[in-house]
Amino acid sequence: MELILASAGSYPRIGDTPDTQRHRRAYAQNERGEISDVEWRAVEDEVAQQVVREQAAVGLDVVTDGQVRWYDPISHLARHCEGIQINGLLRYFDTNFYFRQPVVSGRIRRRESVLRREFEVARAATDRVVKPVLSGPYSLACGSILEGGYRNRRELARAYAEVLAQEVADLVHAGAALIQVDEPYLLRHPEHAEVVHEGLVTLAAARGRAHLALYTYFGDALPLWDAIMAMPVDLVGLDLTYGLKLADRIAEAGAPRTLVLGLVDGRNTKLETRDGLFRILDRVLPRLRGPVGLGPSCGLELLPRARARAKLENMVAIARAHDGHEGRPQ
Amino acid sequence: MSRTKLESLGLRLPVLPTSTVGSFPKPDYLIEARARATRNAITRPELDRLERQATEFWVRIQEELGLDVLVDGEQYRGDMVAYFAETMPGFARGGLVRSYGNRYYHKPVMVGPVRWPGPMTVDWWRWTQSLTTRPVKGMLTGPYTLMDWSFDDYYPDRKTACLALAREVRKEVEALLEAGVRIIQIDEPALSVRPDELGFAIDAMHLVVDGLPAYSVVHACFGAFETIYPGLLSLPVDNLDLAISHSALDLLAMFEKDPFTKDLSLGVLDVHSHSVETVEDVRARIRRGTAVLPADRIWVDPDCGLKTRTVEESRAKLGAMMVAVKAARAELG
Repeated sequence: MELILASAGSYPRIGDTPDTQRHRRAYAQNERGEISDVEWRAVEDEVAQQVVREQAAVGLDVVTDGQVRWYDPISHLARHCEGIQINGLLRYFDTNFYFRQPVVSGRIRRRESVLRREFEVARAATDRVVKPVLSGPYSLACGSILEGGYRNRRELARAYAEVLAQEVADLVHAGAALIQVDEPYLLRHPEHAEVVHEGLVTLAAARGRAHLALYTYFGDALPLWDAIMAMPVDLVGLDLTYGLKLADRIAEAGAPRTLVLGLVDGRNTKLETRDGLFRILDRVLPRLRGPVGLGPSCGLELLPRARARAKLENMVAIARAHDGHEGRPQ
Repeated sequence: MSRTKLESLGLRLPVLPTSTVGSFPKPDYLIEARARATRNAITRPELDRLERQATEFWVRIQEELGLDVLVDGEQYRGDMVAYFAETMPGFARGGLVRSYGNRYYHKPVMVGPVRWPGPMTVDWWRWTQSLTTRPVKGMLTGPYTLMDWSFDDYYPDRKTACLALAREVRKEVEALLEAGVRIIQIDEPALSVRPDELGFAIDAMHLVVDGLPAYSVVHACFGAFETIYPGLLSLPVDNLDLAISHSALDLLAMFEKDPFTKDLSLGVLDVHSHSVETVEDVRARIRRGTAVLPADRIWVDPDCGLKTRTVEESRAKLGAMMVAVKAARAELG
């Protein structure tokens, strides 16, 4: 079975060498007023296209723009909405990365389209499938401070879903064939799976002929297996780095959805071994029908750039070796 | 409170003893000097002199404010993990990773067996203690956080890495106690990040503090403590220092359900907010604590280190805290 190699979202926007720090320098120059917003946006576009080309050059079939314009996964979309102000920093899960909390004080309404232009810029850089990514309505609600406009998190998630559905419609109109929706908070709050489901129903209604992929990460999805498999999406991306039981489950019973196996640890620099990945792939793949994706467990922005690239190169090499290995008589 | 233990260590503290968590903002001259140091534009002795100047500055402020147990203010540390990682063999400087906005840092990588290189904080503690007659805490980052906030290219898994680090951290604790430290604070802000790992985080803390003659504190902050409570109470320390001031106020409701069995350092200042708490804000937070725990088991401090605040904000916040504590002490008689 040929594996489809896919990015999981974010990608480091700078590296350790001066020639890979254009984004950081321009960000500071824009803050100091030394370059205009137009010039800054041009640098962002350039870096996004560079990231797209880097993933394609490594050998990924499905790439992203690395979310290089995103301040963080929670405030990027929220800051383009009325009814929201962006507040102080809060740690993002158990990472050493911080996001700015949106404060919702009234009814929210999208001020402008956000992701369509980002998608179009990325798509112009490659002939590979470009996958736009958006944080899901439930995760946005979890990352926000609710001060008014809605009675509870469920209502806020519904409101975010309406905004995100507009983004999905824009992306479909621009030609996106595959759209990734990240709901990492689902694994923290399994009791709210139905809120996630409800939000995805709203997004699915706007997707037209595009495919929706639900990604969960930063935890073990096994306790939520049935709920996740029942979500109204076409693909599911799973973080398989939190223990082996989830892989065991797939190896035993397969999956009713197309899966993207997050076997490359997006949280640690250590490179995966060929034997380690083969052991899991050899058990899991025979139980899965149709295409199967392979990728990082989460976005790679938590790694240094050089190591992110090395991880992808290593994954591609192992996947190609596995394709050959599978084809050989045992 | 483990009053008996404190008194056996020669520490006679008032009701609701006050302290801070560790870091204070660096004065501008030190920030500038540290930037110059990265370009080798300042000598190590000159930087050291400025770090000592800043440390003394903060000792005097803590004394003026009337804090009971002082800290060195961590003027010599850039980051609570990087400082130790840059000193301990087995760690290497990793590539740049974004922490927020346009801020990046070199996240350490474990590339070989991590080793204690000899005292890392003892000279700073000794010098700080020489500046004051009030007790100064020994402070260092705990093994779980050192592990979690580093990459690991060497150890087979997180537990092995954490326990290996714990054995080395213990050597630093022993060195601090030998120098005269009586209160030791182990910073573990990552403690609640993966609830399923609490078991080995506790095992690691046993390796760090078991059998040592000190009043021990674990500082944790900004986590989902509801996910590790009451398991957290199995940490083998005398005092848990928790962020209570802001979102974690619900912790106190948890204590009503599962009684808190240790001394509590009650974080009453939101260190991520520029606004200065009113005395009444702080008094209300202290009352929330005294409503669920006897006052003689409560310490009062900020939620976390104050290094992200300005010097003026830090003084003002601590000033409000001290006025509130004095009022609370009077109220308690």
